[in-house]
Amino acid sequence: MPKDQQRDVLDAVRAPIEMARGLPNAHYTDPETIAEENEAVLARGWAALAVGADVPEPSDCKPLEFLGQPLLLLRDKDGTLRVFQNICRHRGMILVDAPRKIEGAIRCPYHSWCYAKDGRLVSTPHVGGPGLNSHPQMDRATLGLIEVRSHIWRDVVFVNLSGDAAPFEDIHADLLTRWKEVDKPVYHGGLESRFTLEVDTNWKLAVENYCESYHLPWVHPGLNSYSRLEDHYHIEEPGKYSGQGTYVYRQLKGDDGQVFPDFEGLSDFWDEGAEYVALYPNVLLGVQRDHAFAIVLEPVAHDKTREHVHLYYAKPDIDAGLLNKNAEQWKEVFAEDVFVVEGMQRGRAAPGFDGGRFSPAMDGPTHLFHAWVAEKVAALRAEKDAL
Amino acid sequence: MRSDLDARLLAAHAADDRPALIALYREASEASETMVARRFYLTHAYIYALEAGTTEAPALRAALVEMGAETPD
Repeated sequence: MPKDQQRDVLDAVRAPIEMARGLPNAHYTDPETIAEENEAVLARGWAALAVGADVPEPSDCKPLEFLGQPLLLLRDKDGTLRVFQNICRHRGMILVDAPRKIEGAIRCPYHSWCYAKDGRLVSTPHVGGPGLNSHPQMDRATLGLIEVRSHIWRDVVFVNLSGDAAPFEDIHADLLTRWKEVDKPVYHGGLESRFTLEVDTNWKLAVENYCESYHLPWVHPGLNSYSRLEDHYHIEEPGKYSGQGTYVYRQLKGDDGQVFPDFEGLSDFWDEGAEYVALYPNVLLGVQRDHAFAIVLEPVAHDKTREHVHLYYAKPDIDAGLLNKNAEQWKEVFAEDVFVVEGMQRGRAAPGFDGGRFSPAMDGPTHLFHAWVAEKVAALRAEKDAL
Repeated sequence: MRSDLDARLLAAHAADDRPALIALYREASEASETMVARRFYLTHAYIYALEAGTTEAPALRAALVEMGAETPD
């Protein structure tokens, strides 16, 4: 498509919601368009990669792939979590191929260069010849693991692959302020409080669906008895995040009426209020008086996404029965969304689909996400055109 | 290297027995007649000890420094 027509398409997405169209099919189906979009919205900003609970203890590590890059989550002996490129500085060999605890050092399986848990290169056997483990031209201080810029918030590990985004706290200052009251220490519920949904869809469709409450009465009919459409409100922060809130959050109760402990010091709003925000680009957050969740969307392929769901609580060591009941309840809700995000992905193969129209009344949060993606892609194109 | 030590080393590698590898490479170093060989085998003992985080790693490193095989901290 000629460049002027490409701009027209993105302008249409960024138009006021009454006139706007959604992102065109190519953003869900075309590898070239998606590669450009990945750079604009995932690599240049703060993308969610994992959660701290993936490496819960000192010396734990976990290899991951993100946008095809091999990365390593590594917690050092003091508990500091870092993200590195999962390669040896010698021949680029993959260092760690499965989650494990690093007892002493990471040894490259190829020529046995060894790295400390903070990324320092600590040994280079035979690098100066047999039995000579140093060489004047090999400065270990400059050959540590390549660290990827990272930031942790609410246990979500964010990475900035390009390395030049504004600080996380600056970009997301609005949400940090909005949720200051609920920004308390969170405790992962453990093995049963994490699950992954493998979904045949582009990751953006999971964001788009999560943002809006419009679909709730149709896709989640179980909510209708106590959480009606009119009990919800839009959360709209252009260029930052969007989502939905409810005024009628109802606490889960165990067989004996027990509930989860509340986060401390919350105002009355949170007695029955709850908020669900898509923090751009790829993490879906939920906060309630007694628990929270984070869904990290892993973009596996243009039509494949892993939704990593993690449930968090105000205190550790909570009754396992109630934890499991809550996890099952959320699993059911999130599984109800699978057919729509997969159906929309399949629908993107229809050449007649023009990105779709938004309900000016109901789709505001979803349109904001589309407009944000379009803005980022347009900015990248303008930057490259100027070169 | 003595053939029985060689066999024990191969068995330790096959079993991925790290404590045995550390001990056997140390033994190989001590049994070697040349400095090159002593450094070579002790380097292997050190690397496996370093990877495993065992308490003997610092002493092995110090020995390698003494032999001129490793730079001091």
